[in-house]
Amino acid sequence: MAGLTPDLLAMQVFAGLALGAVYVLMALGMSLLFGMLTVVNFAHGAFYMLGAYGAVALLGYGGNFWVCLFFIPLAVGLVGMAVERVLIRPLYGRGIDYPLLLTFGLAYVIVELVRIGFGTEDLPFDTPAALTGAVNIGIGYFPLYRLFVIAVTGVVLVGLWLFLERTSYGLIIRAGARDPQIVRILGIDVGRVWLVVFGIGTGLAALAGLLAAPLQGASPDMGDSILAIAFVVTVVGGMGSLLGAVLAGLLVGVVVSLTSLVAPEAAQVAVFVLMAVVLLVRPQGFFGRAGLMS
Amino acid sequence: MDGAGSTVAVHAARPDLLAFATRHRATLAAVAVLVFPALLPFKAVAADVLVYGLFALGFNLVYGYLGLLSFGHAALFGGGAYACGIVFTRFGVPWWAAVGAGVAGGAVIAAVIGALAIRTRGIYFAMVTLALAQCVYYAAYEAEGWTGGENGLRGVDVSAITLGPWHVDFVNPLTRVYVIAAFVVVALFAVSRVLASPFGAAMEAVRENEARARACGFDVRATRWLAFVLSGAVCGLAGALHALTIGIVPVETLTYTTSGLVVMMTLLGGMGTYFGPFIGAAVFLLLENLVSLWTVHWQLVVGLAFIACVLFFPRGVWGTLLAGLRR
Amino acid sequence: MTGDAILRAEGITCRFGRFTALRDVSASFPRGALTAVIGPNGAGKSTFFNILSGSIPPTEGRVVYEGRDLARTPQHRYARLGIAKSFQITTVFPSLSVAECVRVACQALVSRYDIWRPRARLTALDDEAAALLDTVGLWDKRARPAGLLAHGEQRALEIAMALAARPRLLLLDEPTAGMSPEETRAMMQLILRLARERTVVLVEHKMKLVMGISDRVLVLHHGEVLAEGTPADIRGDATVRRVYLGQRDAA
Repeated sequence: MAGLTPDLLAMQVFAGLALGAVYVLMALGMSLLFGMLTVVNFAHGAFYMLGAYGAVALLGYGGNFWVCLFFIPLAVGLVGMAVERVLIRPLYGRGIDYPLLLTFGLAYVIVELVRIGFGTEDLPFDTPAALTGAVNIGIGYFPLYRLFVIAVTGVVLVGLWLFLERTSYGLIIRAGARDPQIVRILGIDVGRVWLVVFGIGTGLAALAGLLAAPLQGASPDMGDSILAIAFVVTVVGGMGSLLGAVLAGLLVGVVVSLTSLVAPEAAQVAVFVLMAVVLLVRPQGFFGRAGLMS
Repeated sequence: MDGAGSTVAVHAARPDLLAFATRHRATLAAVAVLVFPALLPFKAVAADVLVYGLFALGFNLVYGYLGLLSFGHAALFGGGAYACGIVFTRFGVPWWAAVGAGVAGGAVIAAVIGALAIRTRGIYFAMVTLALAQCVYYAAYEAEGWTGGENGLRGVDVSAITLGPWHVDFVNPLTRVYVIAAFVVVALFAVSRVLASPFGAAMEAVRENEARARACGFDVRATRWLAFVLSGAVCGLAGALHALTIGIVPVETLTYTTSGLVVMMTLLGGMGTYFGPFIGAAVFLLLENLVSLWTVHWQLVVGLAFIACVLFFPRGVWGTLLAGLRR
Repeated sequence: MTGDAILRAEGITCRFGRFTALRDVSASFPRGALTAVIGPNGAGKSTFFNILSGSIPPTEGRVVYEGRDLARTPQHRYARLGIAKSFQITTVFPSLSVAECVRVACQALVSRYDIWRPRARLTALDDEAAALLDTVGLWDKRARPAGLLAHGEQRALEIAMALAARPRLLLLDEPTAGMSPEETRAMMQLILRLARERTVVLVEHKMKLVMGISDRVLVLHHGEVLAEGTPADIRGDATVRRVYLGQRDAA
């Protein structure tokens, strides 16, 4: 414990923010899907994994990391849109459990398809050459790639914010997240909006998986543990709340990072303890409305 | 979500036969459970069907009869398995006491998870139960001294069972299946009894309309909690039997795919029906066995079957059959 | 007014964010009387009902029933205290039969956590349920799933389920909302009959409907008590007439 200097703690918090950035991207998509479509996407972890494997495939065909960063979320987002149109759409209005159950089955299918295509082994994933090494951030040297993850997430957040605040699509999505009924009453073609939302949500998950790949490699079941954490983040932040997803994502990242400094074996459990505490004190999460829970 | 075809709902057509079947559902189910292992060529599958059928039966108490979708039942099943395995291997208690410990273990974990999770409803409940179950998984993973960690808990070996004057060879697959079946039959009668009790009516009331149930005087949270604990006891028993059957508790028992498995089996069979979960478990496991004969990627087929089930047969095999009979 | 009030609202204020739904509302509901709470749209009637029935807590003030402050009483205790209610949105148990709905409501008073005895053995409940179904005129429909009843019948069933608690105080929130004229007439008859044996508080939007049957009327307007008195007092009240003027229902 003697080594716990303020600088070390600050570094660990910073590392937690990088971890949290990945959680934020996952939870944002999840929150968007729930807030707008009342779909709890159990395949969100599978889409995350698809992001990493999409990059593995594209790199195999001679693509580079930057091309992946642009194309993979787009491609996975298109897959997500196809899923929404073909599989999820028939289930709207049939109760909240059915999309959840369907996406659960879908996760099985996606994971197994990846196993067929790429094998069951973990694949290494190199950090792009330009992003290796570490930079001095004032309190010590910090891996450049982790800074990059934070930066990309920041850019995506700003972009998403602009999209939601400044475009007519964004306006509809925000209104829909607040009260889906209103959007329907206004006679807007919600079908197209839902399609776009599903594309954005799954695309964000793919981006998260892609960004995480250089940190942990790629494996078919890499989405399993992150799915549970994404649930925790959305619950803690408040379901359907995008601001909640961001703050809770970063908080969970920092909690994991700090616990792994003092008691590595408790790092995963700490996340769920945090959730239990939040549930006891404020069952609807930081920014959730009580009504959404039913 | 309403359970399709509540057992006590009054239906106009064909009341005699169905009413008879409903009244004697536990007996009929017990007969089915005792007969089918003899018909199956693979006894190992028969044991699995019994164990997972029981697991699904316990899960359905919460899902079908209370209307709460839990994604954390792996913790109750696995908790029962570990409780049974730990007292058996570490404390050397007799096997039947270890089964009792499994029931208690499932109930205790359900009491804790339930106390937290029933504060939430609907979709939150699914997510919170899943997250809490993950917490149990990580705890078991790290507590290597007790649980064997990553390698699982080995040595839950029962070779012979002595019941008074009788000695039963537990290694023989068929006897093993029938020992398990005996426990399952007891559980079938107990669950049927709970469903037919005043508390069973309270569960239905809470499922059907929370606000009205509360106005009637039912404490919705307490009702949910108690049902969750009962479900935990049944699932704990299933877990304990599972541990005895395979002689080991793999840590994978606690992963959320196990929770998903039981949801899938229940849905496949027909949620909210008494015997549907058993049918679902049987169909699922037989399908898995057949498919895995020709491909290692049986999960692909299972996932597709699950999607098809959600899209086209939301009432499940047994539920669809019952609905057809009632018409 | 006589001093014997079964229910009193004392200085109830209710705010939702910056919006004040009720401001310092005090009222007492005499035992054995049928009191109607009326007011134009947005007067705060529903909020007042929800506070009286314990669905939402008031921001300030308190509700006193039989001399007991209800502030810390959980919702499910109300039934056993002798308070029953019907909601504005009909709440029955749709996939249970009509008879089962009433029976389980009766059961709530006597057995809630018994997981072992067969419920069929509680035969007293069958008689009780039968009597209640007779009271509300649903005996003939007893075997039908509650969800398949007509709207008016569902409301009657809801009242039968409320009566199962053997309430001394019955709270009704717009029991005739969405009903046809015949259904409305039948419901009013039923309420009048029920009011002979217990205290009834009836929240209603349509003024004309309650004037003939109420003992007392409380008029809410903009979240405040506008007037209180016998139907005759209210009819003669100039402010009430002004508030309702131009409203279709006052005609």
